[in-house]
Amino acid sequence: MKRVLIIGSGISGLSCAIRCAGYGIHATLISPYPSERAQSVMAAGGINAVTEECEEGDSVDSHIENTLRGGAYIGGKKAVSGLCGNAEEIIRYLESIGTVFTVGTDGRPYTRAFGGQTHKRTYFCGASTGKQIVSALVMEARRYEGIGLIERRMGLCFHSALIKDGACYGALVFDEKTRTIETVYSDCVVMAVGGQNSLFGKTTGSSLCDGYAAGRLFRQGAVLKNLEFIQYHPTTLETSQKRILISEAVRGEGGRLFYTEDGKRVYFMEDKYGPNGNLMTRDVVSREIYSASKEVFLDISFKDKQFIDSYLPEVRDICRKFRNIDISREPIPVAPSVHFFMGGLAVNLNHETNIRNLYAVGECASMYHGANRLGGNSLLAAIYSGNIAADDISGRESALKNVDFKDMADHANMELKGMLDSDSPFPVMYVRDMLAETMRKHLGIVRTEESLVKGIEDVEYDLSVSDRIKYDGSVSAYTNYSLKGILTLARAVLSCAKFRKESRGAHYRSDYPKESEEFGCATLISFDNGDYSIRSDKEGVYES
Amino acid sequence: MKVRILRCKTPDSDQYWEAFDYNGTTDISVAGLLEFLNYNDDIINDKGEKTTRIGWECSCLQGVCGACAMVINDVPALACETFIKDLKGEEIVLRPLRKFPVIHDLMVDRSMIQENLKSADIYIGEYKPGKKKEHALQYNAAKCLKCGLCLEVCPNYTNGNTFYGALFANDCYLVATRNAEKAKTIRKVYGEHFGRGCSKALSCMDVCPVNISTLASMAKLNRG
Ligand SMILES: Cc1cc2nc3c(=O)[nH]c(=O)nc-3n(C[C@H](O)[C@H](O)[C@H](O)COP(=O)(O)OP(=O)(O)OC[C@H]3O[C@@H](n4cnc5c(N)ncnc54)[C@H](O)[C@@H]3O)c2cc1C
Ligand code: SF4
Ligand code: FES
Repeated sequence: MKRVLIIGSGISGLSCAIRCAGYGIHATLISPYPSERAQSVMAAGGINAVTEECEEGDSVDSHIENTLRGGAYIGGKKAVSGLCGNAEEIIRYLESIGTVFTVGTDGRPYTRAFGGQTHKRTYFCGASTGKQIVSALVMEARRYEGIGLIERRMGLCFHSALIKDGACYGALVFDEKTRTIETVYSDCVVMAVGGQNSLFGKTTGSSLCDGYAAGRLFRQGAVLKNLEFIQYHPTTLETSQKRILISEAVRGEGGRLFYTEDGKRVYFMEDKYGPNGNLMTRDVVSREIYSASKEVFLDISFKDKQFIDSYLPEVRDICRKFRNIDISREPIPVAPSVHFFMGGLAVNLNHETNIRNLYAVGECASMYHGANRLGGNSLLAAIYSGNIAADDISGRESALKNVDFKDMADHANMELKGMLDSDSPFPVMYVRDMLAETMRKHLGIVRTEESLVKGIEDVEYDLSVSDRIKYDGSVSAYTNYSLKGILTLARAVLSCAKFRKESRGAHYRSDYPKESEEFGCATLISFDNGDYSIRSDKEGVYES
Repeated sequence: MKVRILRCKTPDSDQYWEAFDYNGTTDISVAGLLEFLNYNDDIINDKGEKTTRIGWECSCLQGVCGACAMVINDVPALACETFIKDLKGEEIVLRPLRKFPVIHDLMVDRSMIQENLKSADIYIGEYKPGKKKEHALQYNAAKCLKCGLCLEVCPNYTNGNTFYGALFANDCYLVATRNAEKAKTIRKVYGEHFGRGCSKALSCMDVCPVNISTLASMAKLNRG
């Protein structure tokens, strides 16, 4: 294996590139902007691991069990065991490259409690864990850049994969500056493009995660999995520009949820689930807030100011800057909002998709989290999946021989030119806004058949409009050509939610409120000549 | 209220001013304002003419990714955490950062930031801390957004020159303290690309959105 093309430079893409470089494989890392702009820098609360210094009574087995239970038992046991079993090594690695973890007086990293876990096992860097990890990984990538093993190319967006007879040989990438499509050949392609935020307009995350690549690859034959599982984070703060995440770290450090009734505070999570009620899994907390139908607050003001300044400075700053709330004096008004996508590209244990030599890592791959992700497990998964894919790639023979995708590239360039030379009466952003409205309405915390059917009809209409949009000159060329992929993915997500006639984890159907054994496995969807074919992964092909 | 924006269609076309009317709430950030102006199907300027959507860069919308750095009423700042109610004057004037080539409207090409760090080979390598524990300073230095605001205000920074600016000094500090064995070599490149060129105007610290103390980084690196 000689050359790997990695699309996306968040934590998973960086990890994969560094690990590949460690094997002497040349990695080209492509993204529209540098890693500092990726959603990974927004990760706040921490990363889970059971290590030698773990809390008394904790074990890797219990991390595995918590993860499987949190995911309502449809995450694969083998995959989850690999993830949790390697967590200590990952923390040690991050320490070894200089990540600035929060440490105790003995200089050793601290842990805090996170939702859905029996023990304190979340390592953290203040409330900017993702940012601190990105800073360390970028430096490490730069080290390999210096010796020519990593090349970081910015200003480029994914267009499509070069696929022939079920195998991938590279990708077409679009350069917004020159407005041309370039062919990049490689022995393997690793998708590390993050979540599907744009389907919902705005989420707690980055606007750079739009789901286009997953939608496009789906149209090119890639299987997608568990799309119906969308995590609503229970504690987000309304601001004039979006709902901003209030990290689970606040509840991890003792924060309490309440609403007011007859002038009295009701600590509804503690009343229903006991003293640790505030740290139930996110799907449960979000549903409880939803069904409370009252304004809910998160209170940490009983902790002294010095504690807040030391452990939650970023949360303090967000509340002050965006809402003028002093969290050391008053509670934070919170409500659930779309936060994380458990679904994505279906991959095997080595993170390869159904298309040979095409891998997917990080949030764009569906693995480990089942029907609901535990806080602190996705940073871990982003690094672990990047590593696993690199390990597998290192053992591969180079496949690039006499492949030629010139016709495909010429066609794509011609299509692009035709698009740029035309003008369309439909504004792309209008369609994107309509889509977001549809998704928020029909894929909320509580779903029904009737509503999902309506959602599918709406997206079908958007798709038909998208065919009529030639080019909307008021937005970038990427925003134009990505529309169809995004809409296709949305249609697939709604279809999967309709298919799963039960309630499990983050997928709650009021018309099927119970868990059903029949659906006790992953949902798979593929695009067959315009049809969206859905099935249950009963044989456990993708997760075992 | 008038919003005047210095715009530009493509990297090689001329810049031009275009104004818009805004009568909404002032309890909104400049990012929120740009989204508001861009929201309608037809974008109309203050002369009632149809125009194109305003190009600007954003990712996180909460001040942690550095994408939305621009010059707001002559002050370099992040659009997503600068609120209109805090701005002085009757007008809002937005322009792209001046120290970098413009790509489109308020978007600039900041690749030189990465290029400079790459050419000076700035990386920690292995965590080998020195005796002194400076956790808070290191934590803050590692929060650098690579937004370029410090370079925008710096009287000594020019894109493409050998003086690399405050963000470079802070990265050097991080490397020198996280890996004490590299301190000596890092000090050398720090001197070459920062120490010698810095006239200590320190305006970089006033604009840094994550409050990195470049002065502290300099003190540690100069002391040797
Ligand atoms: C506010 C917030 C807080 C969080 N806190 C935590 C936490 O405390 N602990 C935890 O474990 N997890 C947390 N998460 C989740 C976690 O941050 C993400 O799941 C993880 O960082 C994803 O990393 P990634 O590398 O897969 O993707 P990202 O970091 O999203 O990177 C995606 C990359 O792909 C690029 N890209 C996207 N589309 C294209 C395209 N078409 N062409 C080319 N490039 C493209 C992007 O520009 C970017 O470089 C949080 C998430 C959010 C939003
Ligand atoms: S030092 Fe501050 S101003 Fe300069 S790039 Fe970093 S975050 Fe931006
Ligand atoms: S959009 Fe990220 S800092 Fe403003």
